[in-house]
Formats: sequence, C-alpha cells, structure tokens
Amino acid sequence: MYVREAHPTDEWQMKSNLKDKDDVCYAQPKTLEQRLAIANDFTKRFKFPLPFGIDDMSNAANDAYAAWPERLYIIDESGHIAYRGGMGPFNYNPAEVREWLAARYGAVKHEAPKTPAEAAPAATKSADFGAAAPTPAAPSTPAPAATPAPVPASKESRPPTVREEL
Amino acid sequence: MNRFWKWTSGIFGVLLVAAFAGLSYMAGSPKDAYGMVRYALPHMHRGTLKVGSDAPDARIVALDGVSRFHIRERTGNRPLVLIFGSFT
Repeated sequence: MYVREAHPTDEWQMKSNLKDKDDVCYAQPKTLEQRLAIANDFTKRFKFPLPFGIDDMSNAANDAYAAWPERLYIIDESGHIAYRGGMGPFNYNPAEVREWLAARYGAVKHEAPKTPAEAAPAATKSADFGAAAPTPAAPSTPAPAATPAPVPASKESRPPTVREEL
Repeated sequence: MNRFWKWTSGIFGVLLVAAFAGLSYMAGSPKDAYGMVRYALPHMHRGTLKVGSDAPDARIVALDGVSRFHIRERTGNRPLVLIFGSFT
C-alpha cells in the first residue's frame, strides 16, 4: 500500500536515494497522478509481484493505520487486527508477519526471493489491488514482504490457533 | 541577570546542544537531524489501533489510477497482510 513518500527530494532526502546510488529521486507528490507515476515506477522497476494499492491524496489509509513511513498489519477473516507491526524503519519486521502466517498455515514451502531479479518470474502474476482476487498478501514497499528468518513473536501479535496448509 | 538565571540558561543551552548532537549522531548528520525534526516527526504517529481492534476501512486507488476499492472489501476469506510504504 503506497503512502506518502518518506524521503523525497524536497524534504528529508537520504544519501542512499541519490542518482549515483539507488537513484530514487522524487519530490513529495502533490497530486494523485504523481503518486500513481511513482507507484508504477516502483512496481515496474522491482517487478513487484504482489497486489498493489495507492492511498489517495486524503491520506485516509495512512491516517487510519498510522502507516507512515512504513508499517505492517494483518487483518483476520473477522475484520479485526490480528497483527500490528511497529513503526518503520526501526520496528518494521516482515519476519514477524512471516512467523504469524507460518504459525497459522504451516511452514513456508519456498523461500522468498532475495533480490528483485529473483522475483522477476513472478512478475507476470502482478496485479492491481483493485483488480486482483483477494490474496493473503497485499501491497508494497521496497522492503521484502516476507523475509526467511525466524524471529521471536511480536508482543502485539495474537497467537493463531488454526493450522492449515496454504 | 542574577546568578540563578545565568546557570539556568547555561544548563538549558548545554542540554539543547547535547540533544542536537545526539540526534545528529542517531540520524547520521546535522542535516539529517534537521530533516528528521522538520519532516519526519510531524508525520510519525503511533496510532490507536491494537490487536483485536476493528480494522479501519479506507478507499484505495489501484495502479491503473481508475479503479477504486475499499480495504475491507479484501477481507473475509483469508487473513489480509497490509504492507504500507513508499519508494523513497
């Protein structure tokens, strides 16, 4: 889920984003079209394989989920928050989500791609969030959605009780 | 200015410099410390959601820029993982 930029050129730009490094140089979008352009650049550049959505200029999703700069959630089938990750980047921990899902559905059967290039074959399955069928994983961020590494359970996660295969 | 106020303002100044130095060290440089205070802190919120809270709904735009949908439309069958972030 794309939300307002964290380190745009006209605000707090990071050295790692400069053209001679990661080359991620965008000003803070002022219009939805600008957000769309950045989001599309991201999904194309990284061949992002997951469903993707964009918070509109009202920042409704960002405000509702205190999402900025990056954060993870799991919503369970009953529509309740089942996992609430910490505020990124320091408390952004995809491994906790992976652990929650593994406890719920069993061990992960394949490793997550370590680089964007490795994820390329999956890019053909990429879809807009709005057009895609519901999947267990939703949209975006440059960080990997799932990192293969066991991590202690989050204090804020509710232990799953049902185990079933994905 | 009496002695008390001299000491008070001196200590306050030293604390201010120490806080900025610590922030600069944590952020990477004085420029980054300024960026953090000026641009990041106003947007960082812990939020009120807790595990067990009703998941809020919000209208989301699809990548095509035309389609719209609501987060809660995507819940119900299976758990939904929301990954919030940006490019930079």
